[in-house]
Amino acid sequence: MRTVLLASLRTHTRRYVSAALAVVISVAFVVVTAALSSATRDGLTAGVGAPFADADVVLEVYDPEQVSRLVEQAPAGTAASVLGWTQEPVRHGDDPFGRDTEIAQVVTGDPLRWQELTEGTYPSGAGQALVEASTARRHDLAVGDTLDLGAGDAARQVVVTGIADAPSPLVAADVYVTWPDLAPFADRLYVESVAWVGDAATATRLAPDAEVHDRDAYVADLQQEVNSGVDVITMMLLLFATIAGVVAVIVIANTFAILFAQRRHDLALLRCVGATRRQLLRSIRAEALVLGIVASATGIVVGWLGGRGLVAVISARWPESRLGEATVAPAWMVGALAVGLVVTLLASWLPTRSATRADPLSALRPDAGVDARSTAGRLRLALGALLLVGGLGLLAVAVLGQVLPAMLAGGVATFAAVLVLGPWLVPGLLSVVGRVAAAIGGAPARLAAGNAGRHPKRTATTAASLLVGVTLTTAVLTGMASSRGALATEMDEQHPVDATATATTPIGDDAVALVRDSDQVERVSALRGTTVTVPELGEVTVVAVDDTSTLRDVTRLPTDDQVLLPLGLAGELRTRLVPADGAADRAVDLEVVGTEAFGDVALVTPRTLARLTDAPETRALWVRAADGADPELLEADLQAATQSAGGTVDNGLANRAAVDQQLDVVTAAVVGLLGIAVVIALVGIANTLGLSVLERGREHALLRAIGLTRRQLRATLAMESVLLSVVATVLGTAIGVAFAWVGVETMVKTAVDDVPLVLPLGQLGAVVAVSAVAGLLACLLPARRAARVSPAAGLATP
Amino acid sequence: MTSHPLPTMTTDPSRPAGPATGVAASARGLARTYGRADRAEPVVHALRGVDLDLPAGRLTAVMGPSGSGKSTLMHCLAGLDTPTGGSVTVAGRELAGLDDTALTLFRREHLGFVFQAFNLLPMLTAEQNILLPLELSGRRAVAAARGHVDAVVDVLGIRDRLGHRPSELSGGQQQRVAIARALAAQPAIVFADEPTGNLDSTASAEVLGFLRRSVRELGQTVVMVTHEVEAAAYADDVVVLADGSIRAHLVDPSRDQLVETLAGRR
Repeated sequence: MRTVLLASLRTHTRRYVSAALAVVISVAFVVVTAALSSATRDGLTAGVGAPFADADVVLEVYDPEQVSRLVEQAPAGTAASVLGWTQEPVRHGDDPFGRDTEIAQVVTGDPLRWQELTEGTYPSGAGQALVEASTARRHDLAVGDTLDLGAGDAARQVVVTGIADAPSPLVAADVYVTWPDLAPFADRLYVESVAWVGDAATATRLAPDAEVHDRDAYVADLQQEVNSGVDVITMMLLLFATIAGVVAVIVIANTFAILFAQRRHDLALLRCVGATRRQLLRSIRAEALVLGIVASATGIVVGWLGGRGLVAVISARWPESRLGEATVAPAWMVGALAVGLVVTLLASWLPTRSATRADPLSALRPDAGVDARSTAGRLRLALGALLLVGGLGLLAVAVLGQVLPAMLAGGVATFAAVLVLGPWLVPGLLSVVGRVAAAIGGAPARLAAGNAGRHPKRTATTAASLLVGVTLTTAVLTGMASSRGALATEMDEQHPVDATATATTPIGDDAVALVRDSDQVERVSALRGTTVTVPELGEVTVVAVDDTSTLRDVTRLPTDDQVLLPLGLAGELRTRLVPADGAADRAVDLEVVGTEAFGDVALVTPRTLARLTDAPETRALWVRAADGADPELLEADLQAATQSAGGTVDNGLANRAAVDQQLDVVTAAVVGLLGIAVVIALVGIANTLGLSVLERGREHALLRAIGLTRRQLRATLAMESVLLSVVATVLGTAIGVAFAWVGVETMVKTAVDDVPLVLPLGQLGAVVAVSAVAGLLACLLPARRAARVSPAAGLATP
Repeated sequence: MTSHPLPTMTTDPSRPAGPATGVAASARGLARTYGRADRAEPVVHALRGVDLDLPAGRLTAVMGPSGSGKSTLMHCLAGLDTPTGGSVTVAGRELAGLDDTALTLFRREHLGFVFQAFNLLPMLTAEQNILLPLELSGRRAVAAARGHVDAVVDVLGIRDRLGHRPSELSGGQQQRVAIARALAAQPAIVFADEPTGNLDSTASAEVLGFLRRSVRELGQTVVMVTHEVEAAAYADDVVVLADGSIRAHLVDPSRDQLVETLAGRR
């Protein structure tokens, strides 16, 4: 049998290429994941210890006063470096940086200075700053530029003296200043830890609350933390690798099924000349094994090169990501090889069994052509129905009771039902779509529709491979869009105003006009108010809502006996507002409601304000941003206009934009990773079509003889491919949207009451369009090959 | 079913050669070589300079043993294969110099084909198979030929089979559908390649009978490749090929004459 095995491998190599490609992609995915995670781990853990390299002990202390004391009163021979940051407005001329711009400390001189200078010099004192390399690049900063930090009393200017890299993202910030420039923000400083040179006793004398850690133990803990973070990401990537693997199994199983169907004659002939069924089985399983080994080995090499290349590209493009060396541990290699082998053998199991069942006599019978319609059995129908009923039942339970496990199990069962019922479902859909196409496209379209529906099982399996990726992609897109819709309602409540500026002194009409004229502003309302004294809180600006035209949501406005205070100030249940001019007889007692919605201000009704004062002044501006406004520019305009009146800006739009951006990033990442599964599925479509073209050689020759031009033949094959991919995509989109609805009902409803299903029609349309184009691409090679054969040559082949 | 009269051929002024007159196809010095000596490939001379005139309105059988070049001759005459030498003129049109698309359109409009097997597309019904060449030319062609097709279908006795797929038809029925398809576009020549190769003797006789009637009653020109003397006996003329050359071109041979020629060749 060895002669047969080798000869068969030699003869059929080309037909195995696509199956091998599917394995290579899956295996490479795993290896690239390993390379990326090792590089991330290497890079992150290497730098984690750097800020503590010179330290004797590490202190965990959060009280700003004690932190300040550690830095300012460190006796000779000791030193402290604060590892923490604060988010402050930062501006370079007209260019405001984002709200999340972080400012951290740089120590003057060794020890404890950990930033790695790439340009210029380290700051030697107040008024100087170091800028993170990526920030400098983003905002086009150079040594010598001036930055404005902070707002109000704490506002200051610093000159950039150097550009630096952070050795570890755990401590990286955008701008590093010396302690005198950071001290004014000390109250808002988020301190991770303080690195301390000197003995622990001195440190605890200055900071009694400090928790003292051994340096090496602390660094080890940090590394542990980083590692488990990387582990989580690795697991997530492997989840997507698994999805890609499942699709690969479908593609390969289909390839084997088609190949063995085409070789039915050869196999039966072997049986005729005396091969036992067992010998046959062993021979073709050995073929699958060889394919698995070769493809997996290739996948490991491709993945290793790809992983290193990717790490090199990322390191070159984004040096701040600080990736280390990409290494793939032998265990990963073995694991990836195992994945490749399991995928291949699993996929070949069923097809090889049915192939060797061929009875020897069928070799002697004339072939009935390729018309053998594979009809799926009753067992399959029963199994599919069972899965469908069970799956839908579980999904119903999930929706009604908001049970997550029921949703997952129900989803898997329902999807499995769709795959099992595919041989009925897909050809049915194909004939409907095909009829429409034939009405428009004429004879080639009719031929294409007929061809696509010829092998219900083959077609269904091919569609299934694409279905997996498309269903998951559309489910994610729709789920995200719906969550976003729900979130928008939620955000409207949380941030009813896009931006507010609240001032301690009256805001002039010129300032109001300035804001109104800004490109970023659609509408502005000037709110009237006054200053009151509140027990425990001192002087507070209070304004009345007499104009709600800028609000997105009015559910959180105060009533006549309420005052809305920022959460940080809303300590008591009731409080007394006394006019700052001391008119105690006009004091008002009100119920306190805490909210972050309206900025740094106390909010009352116009009637309450009238009781407090007879001469209200413009104290706050509420802004409705123009469509597509830039939150940073909006804030800068508002800041500039109200600066003189002592305005403080609260930027709800930026918070919204940040949430939107996070959703975008997550959606893009998930869709990108699912894309790999879709690519494998497309290899599968090309493969099915390519193999079908091989077995239809006679038929194409006949068509060409009776008058089908080359172009018409290519069009027929293209249409077949597009029909198949579009049908799979439409079916996948329908299932994906249904799954998204179930997911939203099950998961999001627990958090938010009313979540309408939002269909991202543009994105869903793009998915269908992309798969149609991909279907066209998939047919390019097979169609070319089919059209190249001359009719006479095609007729001559048996 | 054989009692149906065959439909009268509607004459099409655009047709290059009128039916039943003159020469339907001719070959001059026709050669076809496979393999190239300059690539160290074995060279096979399938046709070695064949000169042949096929009269219109007659059933011509091309005979010869396996490898004598009869299929190659048919493929070259039908524009399915490109000769390596000589020229072919079919229905007044010189085929050399036509590109692939032009050749395809020529075949679609002026030639009909009946093959031994795989004649029909399995996913189309009998009717769709019959109309396929017309549909490829466009909807107007289908409408124009409708009456003619209906008549042919009746003559061949396959009206009640039109909705069936090929797998639901017997071998004889499949070949009748193939003949209907070949006649549908009223071609200048019908090429039949071993049309009875897969059929039993009754079905063979039926198919051959239909081919001969299409010549006698419609003035159709039919060229049939066969290796069966029984089949050749239905022909008006017989061309005998051996080793890529014409051994004999018999006009209205008697059965004895035919057998003698074939035997003498051996």
